[in-house]
Amino acid sequence: MRTYLLRRCLYMLLILFGASILIFFLYSLTPGDYVDNNLNLSDQRKAELREIYGLNKPILERYVIWISNIFQGDFGYSLAQQRPVLDLFQDYIWNSFLLASAATFFTWFFAVIIGVLTAYKQYSLFDTLVMIGIFAAMSIPSFFIGLFLIKLFAVDLKLLPPGGMITTGSRAEGWEYIKDVLHHMILPVAVMVLLGVGSLTRYFRSNMLEVIRQDYVRTARAKGLKERTVLYRHALKNAMLPAITLIGFELPGLFGGSIIIEKIFNWPGIGQLYMSSFTVRDYPLLMGFTMFIAILTVLGTLLSDILYHASDPRVKL
Amino acid sequence: MKKRHFQALLLLLVLSIVLAACGSSATTNTQKISPPKETNSSEPQSENQVSESFQVDLSKVPERAQQRTDTIIVGLTNPSGAFTPYFTQVGYDGNVNSVLYTPLVRVDPNGVPEPALAEKWEISEDQLTYTFYLREGLKYSDGSPMTTEDVAFTWTLLHDPSYDGLNDVVETKIKGGQAYKEGKADSIEGIQIIDERTISVTLESTNATALTVLGGPILSKAYYGKDYKFGNLDYIKNLHANPITNGPYKLEKFIPGQEVRFVANEHYIFGKPKTEYFIYKTTEGDTWQFIETGETDYGSFSATKDNIEKLESLGFLNLIPNTASNYGYNMFNLEKEHLQDKRVRQALTYGLDRQLIYVESRQGAARLANIPSSPILWSYTEEDINPYPYDPEKAKALLDEAGWVVGADGIREKDGKKLEIHYLGSKNANTDIFIAVAKENYEALGIKFTPEQFPDFNTLVSKVDSGDFDMASFSTTIISDPSQGVSSFVKGETKGYSNPRLDELYEQGLATSDIEERKKIYHEMFKILNDELPVMFTTYTKSIIAINGRIDGFELNPLAGIAYSLPNWELK
Repeated sequence: MRTYLLRRCLYMLLILFGASILIFFLYSLTPGDYVDNNLNLSDQRKAELREIYGLNKPILERYVIWISNIFQGDFGYSLAQQRPVLDLFQDYIWNSFLLASAATFFTWFFAVIIGVLTAYKQYSLFDTLVMIGIFAAMSIPSFFIGLFLIKLFAVDLKLLPPGGMITTGSRAEGWEYIKDVLHHMILPVAVMVLLGVGSLTRYFRSNMLEVIRQDYVRTARAKGLKERTVLYRHALKNAMLPAITLIGFELPGLFGGSIIIEKIFNWPGIGQLYMSSFTVRDYPLLMGFTMFIAILTVLGTLLSDILYHASDPRVKL
Repeated sequence: MKKRHFQALLLLLVLSIVLAACGSSATTNTQKISPPKETNSSEPQSENQVSESFQVDLSKVPERAQQRTDTIIVGLTNPSGAFTPYFTQVGYDGNVNSVLYTPLVRVDPNGVPEPALAEKWEISEDQLTYTFYLREGLKYSDGSPMTTEDVAFTWTLLHDPSYDGLNDVVETKIKGGQAYKEGKADSIEGIQIIDERTISVTLESTNATALTVLGGPILSKAYYGKDYKFGNLDYIKNLHANPITNGPYKLEKFIPGQEVRFVANEHYIFGKPKTEYFIYKTTEGDTWQFIETGETDYGSFSATKDNIEKLESLGFLNLIPNTASNYGYNMFNLEKEHLQDKRVRQALTYGLDRQLIYVESRQGAARLANIPSSPILWSYTEEDINPYPYDPEKAKALLDEAGWVVGADGIREKDGKKLEIHYLGSKNANTDIFIAVAKENYEALGIKFTPEQFPDFNTLVSKVDSGDFDMASFSTTIISDPSQGVSSFVKGETKGYSNPRLDELYEQGLATSDIEERKKIYHEMFKILNDELPVMFTTYTKSIIAINGRIDGFELNPLAGIAYSLPNWELK
């Protein structure tokens, strides 16, 4: 186990090194830079600014500076936002995390229940209807369903807020504040669950179908166990095993934010920030964020491998 | 002013996104609503205005807004938190700063300078020395007095070599400024503090925009100058979050990505504002749902017929039409031989149905531009200006005259070279319309039209910089002085174009501050530019400002934004 972890960590470093090269060069070789944004600047001033920002240095030197700063925990300074990139992450990522974790929880929750039930009653009317519904929800574009729900629940019925994370100008604290945020989370989380639940349900359903036909399930039934116990204790446990790998892959998604959902619902998350930085070529922020997601992805893979080993002793590392 | 330039650019971007969002409905409806085609480009005034019978019905104000009795909320795309004037990079921070700070000199709705924190100013005979007189009793939000020391400090600070903001103050060329920047002098020679309330500044050359540029917001020396060491401005970054200000409102709290909260400044020189709290709420672009639910009190919308009807139907909003003070244009690559001929440029303008592209397909949310000055500025004129109505016959005649004759394949050629226009534009619905119409128009004239679109602005700019194009669409940033609108056509700023008479007039226009005299000078410049067309002027965009009917005291000022009248906004 220990040698395995060591080897994995070494690989991870290599992968991240490769990723950093890719990220840095892809961004810095794109035509146009931050200084180009302002058409009013004279060529002389542009040169002065490139000097101040270090954009006039050879590209390799810039890479070395960037990567060595990252090793020291400094992801750079956002040119547009005028703040350290890590501070900005602090401000925005937790909002994204809040939204994504709630959505992920409910997506899994519903996917497991629906997956099990539809597998148990395969080809029944219930199964067909649920599948039609799920596919329909999956295929509607997120911006459409988001705007539609805002129109319905916020503008027409006035039941839910039209967007944002808190009521504008609200001075609520403590429990009132939490209630306010929860109230604002309902719509975006509902949309994210609607969009995400489909594929996961299919996944659990097929796993479940496979497991239900296994001998030990028949044995369990033959023992005279209650159907519920058979399903949820014996079958589901094993059907869930392959899903553990998915947990690791969810990790970057939890922190990465969702550009479209955050934009529609005016949610102060990292996805929005990323998008607005992109249009102005705020490279330190863009590169820092992409690198951060790369690190999370690599960590997520490691996590799922370890989890898999922990939950299924047959898997050798 | 230039801070606002960038913001205008973003605004345009946002606007184009908004337009793109309703693009499909816009195109399908054109047929029905387009007015009879006009050959004359002068705008029918009645079109796309708020209908005269429209009355604000306060009983329709949403509950959410009615419950708010001491707070006004306005949407703002994305302030980043850098709340120090001159040190912001995002235009939206400029909006925040204009609420936090009142400049020495501001501009009225027509772009004419008027006293703000300075009670008056004097300009010397030779137009080189400006003397500012501060009002009595000026105070910062922490109660400390504001004096000419602060003014001198602010101007000096911007000459620091590590300053990375927009360079307006440095470009006014204060005497001795360059020496300070290079470290050869300890202070700037041209800045003279006369007494606590009087300061003069001497420039190296005349510059009519210097008055408003130097008369900008003034930073507190006691606060922002405490840690200043020549050549290092990094410390300012730590002060962004807790500004000491002198405007109508002071910063209460900034919640990133959500709100900027302000509270009335009791030290404000013109008296504490009438509404206690003000909030800039972060909203992405389109603010319909927030206006409709009363979550925000103010919004600006593209002046399309659909939008106006919808806003009117809501009933509780005061609607004010507005024309932007920038202009859109199609840039010609004047380094290409075929475009160096004025007649070809004129033919390209005559031969393009601009009315259809820019006015009708946008449901009237723009009007045609023929000179580089917005109709809202004092410099605007239509006298002796060629409106370039859509006239394909005239375009053909001009091309014939220029020696471009139709070849065997229907494409015009001259000396064996085909007449081809390689066009670059952003990827959005407006450009799609432009390309569709232009392709048809130009092919009818015998011009090969090859469009290319870019989803990303910076890529477009670098492609233009490489010179591999004939025509490209852009729009300027907000223009508050007519000299800004013409500066790109003089002194070789536009590659491949020069007109000594323009250079001469440009200098004259900056050398005097007499508005009547300047008008004459700029009108002559506009006439030349309108005839020679170094760029094809296209549009002035129109918008509708919607403000909740329960707010009194709003005054439109497209150049200074809402900060101009904000202290007078009052809730009924």
